Amino acid sequence: MVKFFKYTILILILLVMVFPLLWMFRISFMPADQGLSLSDFMSMAFTFDIYRDIFRGGGMVRYFLNSALVGLAVTAGNILFCFMTGYGLSRYKIIGQRFWFYSIIFVLMIPVHIIIIPLYLLVFKLGLYDTYAALILPFLVSPIGVFMVKQYIDSLPPSVEEAARMDGAGEFRILFKIVMPLCKPVLAVLAIQVFLVNWNSFLYPFILTSSDSLRTLPVGLALYQGHQAIDWPHLMAGSSLAVVPVLVIFWLFQKQIVSGITAGAIKQ
Amino acid sequence: MIRNKSIGALFASPWIVSFAVFWFFPLVYSLVLGFSDYRLLRPSYAWVGLENYFTLFSDQSFLVSLKNTFIFVIGTIPVTTAIALGLALLVNRNFVGRTIFRSAYFMPSVTSMIVVALVFTNLYSRGGYIYLLAEMLGFSPPPNGFLLSSSTALYAIMAMDVWMSVGYYMLLFLAGLKSIPVELYEAAEVNGAGAWQKFRYITLPLLKPVALFIIIINTIKSFQVFVEIFVMTRGRYGTSTAVYFIYEAGLSHFEFGYASAAAYVLFIIIAVFSLIQFRLFRQRPIW
Repeated sequence: MVKFFKYTILILILLVMVFPLLWMFRISFMPADQGLSLSDFMSMAFTFDIYRDIFRGGGMVRYFLNSALVGLAVTAGNILFCFMTGYGLSRYKIIGQRFWFYSIIFVLMIPVHIIIIPLYLLVFKLGLYDTYAALILPFLVSPIGVFMVKQYIDSLPPSVEEAARMDGAGEFRILFKIVMPLCKPVLAVLAIQVFLVNWNSFLYPFILTSSDSLRTLPVGLALYQGHQAIDWPHLMAGSSLAVVPVLVIFWLFQKQIVSGITAGAIKQ
Repeated sequence: MIRNKSIGALFASPWIVSFAVFWFFPLVYSLVLGFSDYRLLRPSYAWVGLENYFTLFSDQSFLVSLKNTFIFVIGTIPVTTAIALGLALLVNRNFVGRTIFRSAYFMPSVTSMIVVALVFTNLYSRGGYIYLLAEMLGFSPPPNGFLLSSSTALYAIMAMDVWMSVGYYMLLFLAGLKSIPVELYEAAEVNGAGAWQKFRYITLPLLKPVALFIIIINTIKSFQVFVEIFVMTRGRYGTSTAVYFIYEAGLSHFEFGYASAAAYVLFIIIAVFSLIQFRLFRQRPIW
C-alpha cells in the first residue's frame, strides 16, 4: 500500500517533469497552417512537413551548425587549456601561485552577467564583434574546468612523472604523454560540461554578434519571428533540434554529468 | 626535483591570460565606466562621479527591476530548495526504476533555458495546457494568458524556474545524502530512534554544508535572472529584472556608463547576500 502510494507520487512528478518536452516534440509534428489549438496533444494531425521545411534551407540548419562549430571549438580549447593550466598550477611553483588559484575561486563566485557591458565593449574594440572569434575566444578557459583538473592532478601521485623525468623525458612529453592519459576521466567530465553549457548559452552569443548568419541555435530561437502570430510548429521543431543532441549526450554520459555537478558540492 | 618556474608559468598561461583579459579587465573597466557618462556615439565622455548611482536610486524602472529581482530570489529559493530536498529523499533509497525517475527529474536542468521558456510560453498562453489546468481547478486565469498580465507574469516565470532547477539541486542533495555514514543511522536505530528523529537529528544537520552550497549558488544565479524574462515577456508586464535593466540600458539604449553603475549595484547586493548567508550558516545551526 505504501509502495503503491509512493509510485503514484513518483509517476505524477515524472509526468510533470517530462510533459513539457513531450509537448514540444508533439507540436513540431503538427501541420503549420491548420491553426491547431494550443492543447491538441491527442490530435491525429501528424506531419513531417515542418522538418522537411527546416532542412530545405531555413535558418535553423545554419544556427544548428554554428552551435555545433562553436561548441566543438570551445570544448577542444577547454580540454587543452584547462588541462595545461591545471597541471601547471598543481605541479609547479610559479610566481603568484596562490593568487592564480584564488583568482579561479574568485571568478567562480562572481556574478558573470554583471560584466556584459565591458565585455561587449572589449570585444568591439578588439575588432572581434560579430565574428566567430567573439563566440569562442572568451570561453576557451573555463574557471570551473581549471579548478576540476587542478584538484584531480593534486590527487594523483607524482611518482610516475618523477620516474619519467629521471629517464630524461622533456616537460611537454611528460605533460601530454604521461599525465594527460591519466586525466582522461576528469577531462571527459570537463568536455561534456563545457559543451552542454556552451550549447545552451544564450546571453553572450546574443550580445557579441548581430548578423543572422552567426546566430547560434539559442539565439536564433529567441529571435525567431513568425510573420504574424507565433509559428509554433516551426519554433518547436527548431527547439527540438536544440534539445535532441543534449538528450543524447545526457543519456550516454549521465555518470560524467552527475559527477561534474556534484564534485564541487562535496569538496565544499 | 627540478621545478622549472618558466615552464610552469607557460603551462598556466592560458588561465593567466584569460583571467586578465576576460575577467579582471572587464571588472575594473566596468567600475571605471560607472563613474562616467560614456554612451554610444559620444566622442568624448566626462567623469560624473557618483551621479549615475544617485540617478539609479531615483530611477523608477531600476527600482522596480530590483524589487522584481528580490521577489524572484526570495520567492524561488526556499521553494526550490525544499522541493529538491523532498525529491532527493524520495529517490535516495534503492527501488525498482530509481534511475529512470532520477534521470527524468534531472532532465529539465540540462535542456536549454531558451527552449524551456518557449515551451512554457505556449503552456501559459490562453488555451495552453497550464491555462486549461488552472481553469479546471476552478481558478480564473487572466484572459490573455499568464504571461500577458502584470498580476501573474512574474510568478508564472518563477514557477517555471522552480520546475526547471529542482532536479539539479536534487542531485546535489543526493550527493550529500550519500556522504552520510550509514553507521550513524544504525547507531540511532539501536538507541530506538524513529524515522522522524533520524531525519531531524542526523540527516538534516549533516546536509547543512550541501544546503549552504545550494542556497549560495542559487542566490548568485537567481539574482541574475535574464534569459527567461527576455524570451517570455521582454521585461513587460512587471517582469523586468536587474540584469534585464542592465541589458536594456547598456545594449539597447547604449548608455554604457549608466548600465555599468547598475551592474555594480547588483554586484554589491549579491556579494552582501552571499556573505550574510555564509555567516548565518557558519555561526549557529539554523535547524
